[in-house]
Amino acid sequence: MSIASISAVSDRQIDDLRAAHPEAFGTTAKTLRRWAPLAIAVIYLIGSMWYFEFGKLLDSSERALRLLRSFVVWRDMDTWAYDQIYVGIMQTLAMAFLGTLLGTIGALCIGFLAARNVMPVRLVRQLVRRMLDVLRGIDSLVWGLVFVRAVGLGPLAGVLAIFVSDLGTLSKLYSEAIENIDRKQVEGVQSTGAGQLGVIRYGYLPQVLPVFISQSLYFLESNTRSATILGIVGAGGIGMIIIERFRAGLYDQVAFVVLNVLVLIFAIDWLSKHVRLWAIGGKHDG
Amino acid sequence: MTYTPTLGGAAPAAGEPPRDAVSIFERHRAELRASKRMWNILALAIFAVCLVLSVWVSRFYPERLAEGVPRIFEYFGTITPDLQWNMLFEGRGEDGRAVPGSLTFWYTDFWTYMTLLWETILMAMTASLIGAGVAFVLSFPAAANLAPNSWVFWISRRFLEICRGIPEILMALVFVFMIGIGPLAGVLAIAIHTMGALGKLFAEVNENASSRPVEGITAVGGTWAQKMMYGVVPQVAPNFFSYALLRFEINVRASSIIGFVGAGGIGQELNRVISFYSDDRVMAVLILVVLMVTIIDLISERIRLGYIGRENFA
Amino acid sequence: MMLKLQKLTRRFGENLAVNNANLEIPDGQMVGIIGRSGAGKSTLLRLLNRLIDPSEGQILFGDADIAALKGRELRAWRSDCAMIFQQFNLVGRLDVITNVMTGRLYDLPSWRAMAQVFTQRERAFAIQALDRLGMAHTALQRAETLSGGQQQRVAIARALAQEPKILLADEPIASLDPMNAKIVMDALRDINRQDGITVICNLHTLDTARNYCDRIIGMQGGKVVFDGTPDLLTTDMAREIYGAEADEAFNEAATSTSLGAPMAASRVPA
Repeated sequence: MSIASISAVSDRQIDDLRAAHPEAFGTTAKTLRRWAPLAIAVIYLIGSMWYFEFGKLLDSSERALRLLRSFVVWRDMDTWAYDQIYVGIMQTLAMAFLGTLLGTIGALCIGFLAARNVMPVRLVRQLVRRMLDVLRGIDSLVWGLVFVRAVGLGPLAGVLAIFVSDLGTLSKLYSEAIENIDRKQVEGVQSTGAGQLGVIRYGYLPQVLPVFISQSLYFLESNTRSATILGIVGAGGIGMIIIERFRAGLYDQVAFVVLNVLVLIFAIDWLSKHVRLWAIGGKHDG
Repeated sequence: MTYTPTLGGAAPAAGEPPRDAVSIFERHRAELRASKRMWNILALAIFAVCLVLSVWVSRFYPERLAEGVPRIFEYFGTITPDLQWNMLFEGRGEDGRAVPGSLTFWYTDFWTYMTLLWETILMAMTASLIGAGVAFVLSFPAAANLAPNSWVFWISRRFLEICRGIPEILMALVFVFMIGIGPLAGVLAIAIHTMGALGKLFAEVNENASSRPVEGITAVGGTWAQKMMYGVVPQVAPNFFSYALLRFEINVRASSIIGFVGAGGIGQELNRVISFYSDDRVMAVLILVVLMVTIIDLISERIRLGYIGRENFA
Repeated sequence: MMLKLQKLTRRFGENLAVNNANLEIPDGQMVGIIGRSGAGKSTLLRLLNRLIDPSEGQILFGDADIAALKGRELRAWRSDCAMIFQQFNLVGRLDVITNVMTGRLYDLPSWRAMAQVFTQRERAFAIQALDRLGMAHTALQRAETLSGGQQQRVAIARALAQEPKILLADEPIASLDPMNAKIVMDALRDINRQDGITVICNLHTLDTARNYCDRIIGMQGGKVVFDGTPDLLTTDMAREIYGAEADEAFNEAATSTSLGAPMAASRVPA
C-alpha cells in the first residue's frame, strides 16, 4: 500500500476495516440520534403549517400586494397631522424614559432585598422573588391594559406599565449582579464598623453601579420598543396613532410613522450603547 | 557638602508655574477633575431636562398619581375572586351551574383557556423554529468575517435589523389585515421578529468563531457552504441552541399577548376579559398565563443547562 | 508534472511579502523552505494553495496557470494540493474520522457534503489514512481532545484523504515537542518517498531542513536568496538567511538535533 487511492480500496479491505473499527462506520443508533431531531422538527413544522393554515398566505397574496402598494405610495402628505405624530413620538420617548427611571429606582431597593448575600432572611427573599416572577411573567402590554382600566387612557398608564414590568426584570438582574460581587471589598467596609446601610453604600454600590447603569440603559432601548406598542391598548404614545390610522385605512401614514419609530429606536440603540460605554468607562477611572 | 532633599530638582524661576512632580500631578489632577466635573454637570443637566420634559409630556403629575394609584388597588380588589372556603371544591350542581365562591365557578371557562394556552405554546414553537431556521441560514452572510462579499453582508445585515426593529405586534396587525384574524398572523409576525433578533445574535456568535477550521476546509477545496457547515457550525451550534431556547421563552410571552390585535393565542381572550369585565375572570386568565410562562421558563432552563453540561463533559 | 513559479509577487500594502519568486519544483521532490519569521515563507505556501491571491506573476502546474483559477477549478486545485498548518486547523468539535473525511469534500456530491453523509468506502479510506499515521484508534474522538502532535497527524491523514499531488506544510512542527516533531517529519518524509508526492515544507530550524529535505530554499525579506541541496548550504549562508535570528535557529537546532537523521521510512506504519 504505497500509493494510496480511494478507488484502490477493495471491498474486502472495507469489510476488514469495518470489522476492526465497527463504530467508525456508523451505527443505527448514531444515525438515528443524528437525524431524529431534524425529522421531528420537519414533521412538527409540516403539521403546524397545516394546523395554522399556512395555505391562507397564498389566498391573501393579492390583498398583501395591495397593502404593500398603499404602504409605499404616500398621498396628500401635507394633510398629515405631523404635530400629532411627533407629539406621540415624544410621548413614547417620555414614557420609556420615566418608566425606566422609576423601574431603576424601584429595582435598586428591591434588588438588594432579593440578593442572597444582603438579605439573610430566606422567607423575605423567596417572597420578593416570587413577586418579581409574577411581575415579569405578565407582559407590559397586559400591564398597560390593566392600568388603563385602573387610571384611564393616556401615557400615565403606559409609564406605570413599563415601570412594573421593568421592576420585575431589573430587580432580578440587579440581585444577580449583587450576588456576584467581590466579597473582599464588602468585608473591608464591614471591618470599619459601618452599619448595614453604610456597607451597602460603600461596599456594594461602587461595585454594582456600573452594571446597574448599563443594564438600565439597555432597558431604555427595549422600553422604547414596548412604549411604541403600548398605545395599542390605549396606554399613550405613538401606538395609539398607529392603530388609529391603521383602522382608518391610512396605510401610507402608518408606514411613515413606523419608519419614524424605527429611526427613533435605532437612534436610542446607538445612544444607549455610547452612554453605556461612557458611563462604564467614567466609573472606572473615577 | 550638605544635601537638601528636593522634589523635582531646581526651583522654578519666578513667574513660572511650579515644576516639581507633586504640583504637576496636582495641577493635572485638578484639570482632569474640572473637566470631569464639567462633564458630570452637563450629563446631570441633560438628565434633568429629559426628566422634566418627560414628566410634562406624559403628564405624570403627583395629583394624577395620587388619584390613580388608589384606583389601581381598587381594581385589583375587583378582579380578585371571592372564594369561599366551605365550598371551594364544590362541583357543578344538578342544573349544571357552578356555585359562586367555588373554584369551578371561578374557572368556568377553564378548558377554553387551556385550549388557548396550548395554541399559544404551539404558536411560539412554530414561530421559534421558522425564525431560528431562517436566522441560521442568514447568520453566515450577515457575519462580517464569513460573508462572501460586502454586498451580501450589507444586505443581509440590514434585512435582519429591519426584521428585528419592527415590534412584532405591529407586524401582527399588518398580517391580521392581510390574512384575517387567527393564529397564523401571530406565528408569521413572531417568526419574522425572531428571525431578525436571532439572526443578529447568531451573526455575532459567528464573528467570534475561530477562523482556523474554516481555513482548513478552504484548503481541502471546500465550497463556501461547506466551509460554513464544517468549519463554523460545529463551533457555534451549542451557542445557537441555547440562544434559540432563550428566544423560545421570549416568544411564549410574545405569543401570549399577540392576540391583542387578533393574531391568536390566549391574548385574544386576555384582551377581551380585561376590556369587558372587571371581575375574577381577569385574575383567572392572568394566573394561567403567569403559570404557563414560568413553567416554560423552568423547562427550557433545565434543557439548556442539561445540554451545556453534557457539552462540557463530552 | 512540474510546479513552476514565475515572477511571483505578493504585496500587503507597501510591504512585499513575496518578491519576484522564480522557482521550478519537479515532481516528487521534498523541499524545505527556511528563513526567519516574516521572510515570506508562509505567504509563499499560501499563494501556492491560493489561500491568498498573488499580486503579480504566475504559478504553473504543468500547463495550467494556477494563479488564474476560479470557482470549481480553484477548488479542484486546492484538493490536489493539500496543506497542513502550524495550528493544525482541524475542526475541533468534529470527531477525527469526520475531520479526515473532509479531505474528500471536493469529490462529494453537494447534498452528501452538506448532510455529512459518507459512504463505507470513504470511511474505509479515512481509516486507512489514519492507520498509516498510527491514529486509527482515535477515530471517534473529538479532534480537540487530542494532543498537538496527534492533531497534526490527523491533519496529515486529512491531507492524504485528498489524494494530493502536492503536500504543502506550513511550519508543521513549530508547535510540537521534539518527539512529536520527529514523528510528523518522518511521516512527511515517508509520504514523499513512498507515494512520490511532492512535499514543500516551511521549517524554522535549520537542522530539520538539512536532515529531511532534498532541496533547501532560503528566503529573506520576501526574496529567494538560496536554492540548492543541503550540502551547498554553508554556515555563513545560513547565518545570512537567518540574520538576527541565527542564534535562535541554530540553538533550537542544537536542542532538537535529537531528531537526528530520518529513520528508515518503514518506521512509520505503512
